[in-house]
Amino acid sequence: MRSRIALGAVAGLAAIGLALTGCSSSNSGSSSSGGLDGKGKTLDVMIAANALYPTEQQQWFKDVSAQFQKETGATVKFETFASANDELTKIQTSVLSGQGPDIYDLGTTFTPTAYSTGAFVKLTDDDWKKIGGRDRFVPATLGISGPDEKNEVGIPFLSRPFVMAYNKDLLKAAGIDKPADTWDGLADQAKKLTTGDVHGMAIAYADSFDPWKFVWAMSMQQGNTILDLQNKKATIDDPAVKKAYQTYFGWLTDDKIVDPAAIGWKNAQAVAAFASGKAAFLPMVSSSSQVSLDKSGVAGKYAYAVMPTIPPGETSLPSDGKAAATIISGDNMVVAKYSKNQDLAFSLVKMLTSTDNQVKYTKTFGDLPTNADAAKQIEQGNQLIAPILDAGTKAYGTPFSGAWGDTQLALVNVVVQSIPSLSSGKVSSSDLDAKLTAAQNTAQSSLNKAK
Amino acid sequence: MPETILIPPAGEVGEQSGSPAGTNPAGARPARKRPKRGHEKGRPLWMLLPGGILMLLVIVVPLIVAVLMSTLDLDQYTLQSWLQAPFIGLQNYFEAITSSSLLRSIGISVSFAVIAAVVTMPIGLAAALATQNKFRGRALIRSLFLIPYVLPAFVVGTLWRTMLQPGGVVDSTLGTLGVHPGLWLNGPLSYWSLIIVQIWTSWPFFYLLVLAGLQSVDHEVHEAAALDGATWWIKLRDVILPYLRGPIFLALIIAFLHNINAFTLPFVLFGVPAPVDVDVLPVLTYVTSFQSFRFGLSAAMAICSLILIAIPLFVYLRAVKLDSGEEEKR
Repeated sequence: MRSRIALGAVAGLAAIGLALTGCSSSNSGSSSSGGLDGKGKTLDVMIAANALYPTEQQQWFKDVSAQFQKETGATVKFETFASANDELTKIQTSVLSGQGPDIYDLGTTFTPTAYSTGAFVKLTDDDWKKIGGRDRFVPATLGISGPDEKNEVGIPFLSRPFVMAYNKDLLKAAGIDKPADTWDGLADQAKKLTTGDVHGMAIAYADSFDPWKFVWAMSMQQGNTILDLQNKKATIDDPAVKKAYQTYFGWLTDDKIVDPAAIGWKNAQAVAAFASGKAAFLPMVSSSSQVSLDKSGVAGKYAYAVMPTIPPGETSLPSDGKAAATIISGDNMVVAKYSKNQDLAFSLVKMLTSTDNQVKYTKTFGDLPTNADAAKQIEQGNQLIAPILDAGTKAYGTPFSGAWGDTQLALVNVVVQSIPSLSSGKVSSSDLDAKLTAAQNTAQSSLNKAK
Repeated sequence: MPETILIPPAGEVGEQSGSPAGTNPAGARPARKRPKRGHEKGRPLWMLLPGGILMLLVIVVPLIVAVLMSTLDLDQYTLQSWLQAPFIGLQNYFEAITSSSLLRSIGISVSFAVIAAVVTMPIGLAAALATQNKFRGRALIRSLFLIPYVLPAFVVGTLWRTMLQPGGVVDSTLGTLGVHPGLWLNGPLSYWSLIIVQIWTSWPFFYLLVLAGLQSVDHEVHEAAALDGATWWIKLRDVILPYLRGPIFLALIIAFLHNINAFTLPFVLFGVPAPVDVDVLPVLTYVTSFQSFRFGLSAAMAICSLILIAIPLFVYLRAVKLDSGEEEKR
């Protein structure tokens, strides 16, 4: 009987052990660190899986680890996440358990949320020195590293500014030499370019992200930052934001320069419409669109341009307006507070943001460098990329607040819930007001909770 | 005389198929003797320990954590040391009910789940009856029937999303017939799109369970009905269906639970933020947690939905007599 009890106890312990193994698997390389002798240590890096270049990414992982081992003796283990949700789950688990990857590669707009968890290292002057100095980066890319210079967590790793692609042949045929720099001018050009089944613009109204970027940019250009962090006030119920939505919807309902099917489009479908020559302008794309465009019928016939920075209804930038060409888009790297290899982590980030590595990365993956020297090198002799780099220097950060995630969602929600009206040809002013009030309330209550 | 022949041994059917049988008027099942107290003492209950501990870790602990979370003001700011997050009692529940779209989402989820479950019943039943008798190519048809069910929800969602898009296959096909119903993936019709797609993907489940139930109908019963000159309708209504009462009831409840928990399909079909007409409970909970980072609030929503699901689950457990109380009484 006694042996039976013992057996039961062993079985029970085995079960607990089994259940707990899962919690400790990612604890590799957490031995104490001293200096930069990383011999025998492993750094854990969490990074987004690259769907466009999966093989190249695997090779890059190997190359980085080999180079880092040569420099410090430590190896690098990469973990990938497929979606923002995967990433968030991993961050939550790590934040709660105090163990996990040493470095996370985050999307720029997710940086404020990550910052608000308080789980990542705030970079001191000394830390910046370890990375090679703050001044090695393109200044605009630092705009979303933290709420202010003293409280930065994100180190810019790659830049993905948003620009507009246009079909050179279509513009030439219509006698237009270059895209307008005002939104009104662009709509006028698009009207000229709309004939038969070719439309002036390809817009992804059903995308989960695109709509807020348009609304944000047009609002910024009118001097409205969506969230006024100083006064802790959301400013969505403002004529500027309403004007932005009306312009965005008006392209379809009033100007009729967008394919009516676009109310069901995601970004990829808008790219596909442009790629098949059915649209003259394709606003809100990054350099990664090159991959699909170069394989399409418009290969060699398209170019990129900075999106208009003069707001709807204006011919010049208002005095309080900001010439926001794009959000600061790309990836930031953050180092976990719980990491016991922080110095080693900084040294890896330094290696990855060095001129050589950044140039190499851009040549392989198409994302642009955050390292200023590397950006210069890439720009030379590359006409296609030049406007994208230019847009990167004119980028503005979205409000650095934990409330931004909710606000962004509320802005997109206005578009999602307006799709039925959009489909019937008109989003009424009162209807839009009601939706803006709802979005304002969501953003405000989220801002009230922000710490 | 024929009536006596036509009464099916419902109790036995239930036993064989492991499904909720109807009542057993004939009392065909022999009463089970309860073991004596003396024997209970020697039972090696400790052998349940590993399973018990696993259950504790996998089910009970997360449940307790969820209940605890629902009483905390847990968000991105307090996540790092979540046990120190401010305790706010029932405020999350209050907020969920009064100022979130929880009640609306419950309404959408429950009605969608009921409609989809009820509509799949006759389809599955008809399909099972149609493939009951042997014919050339029956195996192939039976396999084809299962395709919608074995496809991953993600694939089904993507497929239908493409078909239902403005200007997509569905619109252009209906357009040639002169029908222009409007938007499928947003607006009031989206609710019916969700129901149609859920029915498309889940009816084979009914079909499978009914098919299993049909196997248990004695051959003699068919013969007897034929000898008595019963028409197909009388045979179906008075002979076959009483046999299938158990499997159908079981399938209804499981289908309802599947539907109400469906996340992937609405998520892929409509994306987030979801159009108001298809803002189902699982999607709402997901958005609250992973887009708004209100973990406490979403835990409260999850507990509410757990209670909602517990009602049919309770009915189900009673029906299959898995709860020991019922077993003891018998």
